[in-house]
Amino acid sequence: MDSFTAITLAVFLPFILAGILPVVEKVLKNRIGWYAAAVALLSLILVAQVAPTVIHGENIQGSIPWIPSVGIDLSFYGDGLSIMFGLIVSGIGVIIMAYSNGYMSKREDLPRYYQQLLFFMGSMLGMVFSANLIQLFIFWELTSITSFMLIGYWRNRPMSVYGATKSLLVTATGGLFMLAGFLLLNAMTGTFDIPTILHSESMIEFIKDHELFIFALILILIGAASKSAQGPFYIWLPNAMEAPTPVSAFLHSATMVKAGIYLVARIHPMFSGTDAWFILVSGVGIITMLVAGFLAFRQTDIKGILAYSTISQLAYLMTMYGYTTHIHPGIGVAAATFHLLNHATFKASLFLVAGIVAHETATRDITKMGGLRKEMPITFILATIGALAMAGIPPLNGFLSKELFYEASWEMGAELGGAFTFVIPALAVLGGVFTFAYSIKLIDGIFLGKRPSRGLPEHIHDPGWTMILPTAFLALLIILFGLVPSIPAHYIIEPATEAILLEPVDLHVSLWHGLTPSLAMTIVTFILGLLIYTRYDSIAAWQNRFNSKHPMISVNYFYDAAVNNAKSTTFGFSSRMQPGTIKTYVTALLLLMIVLFIIPIIVLTPDIIPSTLNFDIQAYEGIVYLFMIVAALGAALLPRYLPAIVSLSGLGYLVGLLFIYLQAPDLALTQVLVETLTTIIFLLAIVKIPQKFREHITPSVMTRDLLIASAVALTVFIMMINATQGIVPPFESLSHYFIEKSIPLAGGHNMVNVVLVDFRAYDTLGEIAVLCLAALGVYNLIHSRGEEE
Amino acid sequence: MTTIITKTVTRICLPLVILFSISLLLAGHNNPGGGFIGGVMFASVIALTYIVFGIDHIRSFFNPDWADLFASGLLLASLTAFAALPFGHNFFRSAVEFLHLPFFGEVELVSAALFDLGVYFVVIGSLLSVLKNVGDDK
Repeated sequence: MDSFTAITLAVFLPFILAGILPVVEKVLKNRIGWYAAAVALLSLILVAQVAPTVIHGENIQGSIPWIPSVGIDLSFYGDGLSIMFGLIVSGIGVIIMAYSNGYMSKREDLPRYYQQLLFFMGSMLGMVFSANLIQLFIFWELTSITSFMLIGYWRNRPMSVYGATKSLLVTATGGLFMLAGFLLLNAMTGTFDIPTILHSESMIEFIKDHELFIFALILILIGAASKSAQGPFYIWLPNAMEAPTPVSAFLHSATMVKAGIYLVARIHPMFSGTDAWFILVSGVGIITMLVAGFLAFRQTDIKGILAYSTISQLAYLMTMYGYTTHIHPGIGVAAATFHLLNHATFKASLFLVAGIVAHETATRDITKMGGLRKEMPITFILATIGALAMAGIPPLNGFLSKELFYEASWEMGAELGGAFTFVIPALAVLGGVFTFAYSIKLIDGIFLGKRPSRGLPEHIHDPGWTMILPTAFLALLIILFGLVPSIPAHYIIEPATEAILLEPVDLHVSLWHGLTPSLAMTIVTFILGLLIYTRYDSIAAWQNRFNSKHPMISVNYFYDAAVNNAKSTTFGFSSRMQPGTIKTYVTALLLLMIVLFIIPIIVLTPDIIPSTLNFDIQAYEGIVYLFMIVAALGAALLPRYLPAIVSLSGLGYLVGLLFIYLQAPDLALTQVLVETLTTIIFLLAIVKIPQKFREHITPSVMTRDLLIASAVALTVFIMMINATQGIVPPFESLSHYFIEKSIPLAGGHNMVNVVLVDFRAYDTLGEIAVLCLAALGVYNLIHSRGEEE
Repeated sequence: MTTIITKTVTRICLPLVILFSISLLLAGHNNPGGGFIGGVMFASVIALTYIVFGIDHIRSFFNPDWADLFASGLLLASLTAFAALPFGHNFFRSAVEFLHLPFFGEVELVSAALFDLGVYFVVIGSLLSVLKNVGDDK
């Protein structure tokens, strides 16, 4: 199997195998999670299988034509960056699916859960391997949609629904901004193909000098920030914690929230090295890092703390990618990429620990916990490893990448000079201090101290191995990456960094690299972190007081106001647009019809009514017309339903007769049958509605209806005159084409039928689909009305 | 409405109309007819029986789920659209084949006829499902 096929399979197999999951469930019942884990493992193997090729410096590329006319193919591109993401997504995927077997209750709707998880995994893999900007966008939005469904997994909980809606509104809208940015990129380069742009120096130079550069950059960064919860767009992530905890670990810490980071890394060659890049990426990064790290103090929900911590940690990555404008790009990008990998391990493991704790204690409120170390010793160890890695304690992996972050910040400050020499390192240290403090809080609050006398179940214990093993595996990775950093550095970080920078990189990471400024910064971080931790609760209390005093100083305040406003506006609009009386709808439709038909006729024809008319009416036709007029008058004037309906049907049958005279047997047949059927339906309905229908028609309403009816009649008359007299010049009649081609192309003599089932079969398919929907709609209307009563 | 005359007429009409509806479906490609007309005709005659003999009486011995019919019709029609893809043709490409059978003479096989059959099922299924639901509504 060649590499391209392997990647294509890794992306699409999760979709296909998730599709048959409801069938598999019939056989496997509750063990369906192991099936899902096996699917994830399959993707992991497929990605891992192509990894050696990429590590040796060979990129994978291939495509299948999709919409060639606009240059959009289904194309995949595998370089170090996408392979790293591919490994993280499928690897964490296996861990999460396995863990879910222990976490999810057997009573839950398991097929839906695993199906959506697999759909998400497929979308995420598709996104990171996309070689085409439009394809990237499609998979990007698919991850938003699957995330929406998974956050709202417990659909009866109002907070789940709120969180799901919020995440969809923020991330999907951000995606649209990103699409606009991609279109600008296309306008500049003339291609949607990412590798083409990346490997063309002239194109990249052209982008950087282009006047659209700044707009494209801002639009794409809005997309990235909304997905990775940066800047004001962070608000969706804390609410996304309503999802089942394995979902939070998978989507909202390890993978999906990193899509924005992936995007920033992906467009790095096109946009970096400019002042705008540094100001926007690092600026937003530093602010988000500090604000989110600070706001984490207030959280009492374990997952809430982890959510704010995720936002803050992702902001580290952003900050470092932005540094490359001013310092040697190798340092910032390598540091960010390494930290990205480390964050995926320690944050996912912390989420899994949070899941275990919530599963065993039935609460996620950290204020109600304490002293669990004796009852859950294994969990305590695993949590400690994760939290200390996050705090940046040696020899765990978080220490290494944080050192690199400090090193990059130190150089950044030195490069900018002046006040920045100390301001930038100081801000970096402050971010680290916050991280240190809430990391300690997680261990101290849950496992150390005294067990509260009330609020916790009596017997708490470590969970079964299905939940312990996946978490332990992550903890092992944390230690391994920390002790032997050359393994990830050589096999994962170097290829990824090379893919971002498009030049060879030689990376050396070690636990001890002498007495450097970054070591001093780390020591300062620990000291300040411990000091701040002693004031942790009073800071949180101050934040709470501030928040209740100034509710306006919050992004959520504006989000809620905007959403509520939109709700009431659309509700008012739709109740005005849809008052529920059929007469209003018909009136609106008819008036629109008049406008739409009359305008082209006025524009296209010299005379609205042609001056030379050529009518050739036979006597027997004349008689039919006469009867038709009588029947039409009868339908309009007869005072009761039954006679009016009979009169209307008579009119219909007369039209059918006319079709026979005009040698259109198909139309005549259809007309007669449809007329019969509508009459039958009328007769069925007639017994259920009031027999008089003229009670509340006032003279003014009558006049209005009369006017509309006459106008419609006049319009149709003008239309027919113009059509039958052949005086709409710009268009040639289509019938010649169909008369000529009907037999050679479709082998049918009945042109009407051939048009329906062959030439315009796609239209017909749409129409019968509408027919099915209408039937389902009627079913729902009738049955749901019964339920409400 | 349910006089002895209508009942007798309906009883005689029912099989004839169904046969005619099927012949319309099959004739459609070359002569007047087709899935839509055939379907409407079938639905009308069933509707007529529903009214003349009473929907509850009919349902006591003949009560298909019309939703199944329109769903399978839509599936069939969509599948014929995709059928050409594995042969490297475009979506909805139709095929015509002439067969020489003893007894029938030359018979024309058109892939579009399968699509028409789908239309036929959808029309019958959706119309009768609407009718049954409206008729059921107390």
